[in-house]
Amino acid sequence: MNLMMVVGPVLLLFIVLGFVTYAILFERKVIGWIQNRIGPNRVGPWGLLQTVADVFKLLIKEDIIPAKADESLFRLAPVIAFVPAFAVLAVIPFTEKIQFADFAVGLLYYMAISSITIIGILVGGWASNNKYALLGGMRSAAQMISYEIPLVMSVVGIIMSVGSLNLHEIVEAQQKVWFIFPQFVGFAVFLIASISELNRTPFDLPEAESELVAGYHVEYTGFRFAFFMLAEYVYVFAMASLTTVLYLGGWNAPFGLTFIPPIVWFILKFSLIVFFLFWVRATMPRIRVDQLMQFAWKVLLPLALANIFITAVFKEIPVIGKFY
Amino acid sequence: MFGLVKGLGITLKNMTKPKVTYSYPDEPLEMPDRFRGIQHFDPEKCIVCNQCARICPTDCITLTGKKHPDPEKKGKVIDTYDINFEICILCDLCTEVCPTEAIVMTNNYELAVYSRDELFKDLEWLHNNNTNIRVENNSAKPKAPGGKSS
Amino acid sequence: MLRTEEMLLNVGPQHPSTHGVLRLIVKIDGETIVDAEPVIGYLHRGTEKLAEDLNYTQIIPYTDRMDYLSAMTNNYAIVHATEQLMGLEIPERAEFLRVIVMELNRIASHLVWMGTYLLDIGAMSPFLYAFRDREQILNLFNELCGARITYNYMRVGGVKWDAPPGWIDKVGEFVQYMKKQMDEYHGLITGNEIFIQRTKGIGIYDRETAIQFGLSGANLRVTGVKWDLRKNQPYSIYERFDFDVPVGQTGDLYDKYLCRMQEIVESLKILEQAVEQFPEGGSTMGKVPRVLRVPEGEIYVGIESPRGELGCHIVSKGKDKPWRLKFRRPSFYNLQILPTLLKGENISNLVAILGGIDIVLGEVDC
Repeated sequence: MNLMMVVGPVLLLFIVLGFVTYAILFERKVIGWIQNRIGPNRVGPWGLLQTVADVFKLLIKEDIIPAKADESLFRLAPVIAFVPAFAVLAVIPFTEKIQFADFAVGLLYYMAISSITIIGILVGGWASNNKYALLGGMRSAAQMISYEIPLVMSVVGIIMSVGSLNLHEIVEAQQKVWFIFPQFVGFAVFLIASISELNRTPFDLPEAESELVAGYHVEYTGFRFAFFMLAEYVYVFAMASLTTVLYLGGWNAPFGLTFIPPIVWFILKFSLIVFFLFWVRATMPRIRVDQLMQFAWKVLLPLALANIFITAVFKEIPVIGKFY
Repeated sequence: MFGLVKGLGITLKNMTKPKVTYSYPDEPLEMPDRFRGIQHFDPEKCIVCNQCARICPTDCITLTGKKHPDPEKKGKVIDTYDINFEICILCDLCTEVCPTEAIVMTNNYELAVYSRDELFKDLEWLHNNNTNIRVENNSAKPKAPGGKSS
Repeated sequence: MLRTEEMLLNVGPQHPSTHGVLRLIVKIDGETIVDAEPVIGYLHRGTEKLAEDLNYTQIIPYTDRMDYLSAMTNNYAIVHATEQLMGLEIPERAEFLRVIVMELNRIASHLVWMGTYLLDIGAMSPFLYAFRDREQILNLFNELCGARITYNYMRVGGVKWDAPPGWIDKVGEFVQYMKKQMDEYHGLITGNEIFIQRTKGIGIYDRETAIQFGLSGANLRVTGVKWDLRKNQPYSIYERFDFDVPVGQTGDLYDKYLCRMQEIVESLKILEQAVEQFPEGGSTMGKVPRVLRVPEGEIYVGIESPRGELGCHIVSKGKDKPWRLKFRRPSFYNLQILPTLLKGENISNLVAILGGIDIVLGEVDC
């Protein structure tokens, strides 16, 4: 048990690093295909080593800290941003067996820990002593706080249905019907809010390349920059896993196709979500910062609340009630 | 919402369309005949009329002539002919004014070098640059007397 | 009480969305722009002064580098002004070729605008799609005059090259292809809710302001002024073609987008007719003396470039070189309205409004 406590997370870290490496490549490939291009194909066969080369480049770069930056905070920010991203993975049940910490308030833990990353981004933006970084950091804080609320509200429907915050139990509850069907409104709100939480297009305002150059990490180079990027993609991993667990039935096989191992089902559903994120990125323009706020408070939040209400009502109706 | 979904459909449809990129450094790009690449110079044809140097908008051509080695013959022959590709804009005017087609365009366009000095091309280099020479030279320019353009 | 402070933000000259080397000194209060001041001149090459030492043929390649997105129209401006001053007759075939390349270039230029504008707003794919289709135009140009950007195609009295065999048919094919592609753009962008949100009602000005600032091109037409030099002061053979001048109603960025997209369609119409009526045979070069000596005098001609009224003012003292050459560059004039538009806007609208004006820095700084 003790050995597993040590080896497991290390193993997971490598799996996650592997995922990040190939998610970045896959993202570039997908966007390339969508844009009638080939995507990276120069480093390694089929471009497989492209990200490895990129990371290697980042690692050997000079470590620059701007003279007027707040040095200690500047060093600390990437760490604050990355640690929660990895910590949230502990509660995700990949299959019935593979889960590191199965405790009663898993969902709450995820939501709570993932908010800490904002502090890292805000600190990074502030400590850089750069105006673009400051604007990016401020936007990021405002955006993430706004979208956390609909994100949490949208999953309340599920919590009500299952009667538990335990992610394992939530998956168990979806053996017959995935929550995407009865909780479709909740799913839509969750998906939009999660894209926003991930700072991805169309909600990539904190790093809005064409406006703020690079946003909060404009002054970061080399290893520290890599950490910010790593945190971002680990969140893609975490969020796609969470969406799979909450709405797509986790490792449960559809149509009784149980001969395919559960982990494969999980990976399939998970990849679908990740692909969707990339696909959206290749299509959408960026939303404006004030519209983003309005959208969160005036559209998503009422929808999420309505979803809670509808779930509560439907739960009491005899025939439909058994789906809720 | 409908517009966004439609957009997603269009991007997805484009995923399966053929790729439009060129695999450029692997396969050199084929340029059409009229392409304005690095000039080829033929000293045999040159009559040292200096027109190319005069028309050049950036003054990148320098040439000197010398007396014809055969004392019987009149006129000059070319001695040195240099084009500075740091400032040459490949505008095609030199080949347009050349009365004997001593200087003509080729389809070669690879000009990247490690040192700026290498961009200074002399007569010998330009003479050896004899691949992919443009076939159709100055066809648009009427050769008949009186109808000549500048 | 919290004390708030205004902040000076330096946008550019190295910024992803300033379309080159424009610098904007923006005073912001939070994310609201209080004041904006464009600083230009980072790309100044002194084309007008250089031209005083060049003869008329030599100036043409220099004009390629002003508005590098539509070099053909620039070529035409100087060539047209010189011809007018000399009173030259241009062969019909040359005029047709000129119109075809100018309209192709207008489409290419608007495509680049559309792509980069969407890139400014945050969408990546339309940019690549626009360049994919622009590539076809550039390939056509490459075949015709041997260059993709800096064409140096027109000459005083005609054009340098006749169309190679089959080229006109290729233009006809491209017109059909492009018509199909327009649907894709409209599907991808025009109906996109986020795009509408980003552009509708932003950067509005009325027709009086537009006229006072001397705006031209789509920037003027978007306010409802039906002013297109191809129609109002016809030059070349534009009178022969049947096309419409699209105008906007509200003067916002969305209208600008629709206006320019519609202009592509109108250009395609012109191209279709030009390809159909393209004359068989004939010279592409008029009777021009060997050394161009422009008679003493002064002339101003304005033509409709993709960005607006591109004017060329030549003062000649009877030499083979202009005594003074002045270009009225539409980008430069259109840029003047930027500080007025930016006041009170959100910083996110900055790039949207700047992109909407459609400036080319090579032309602004000349």
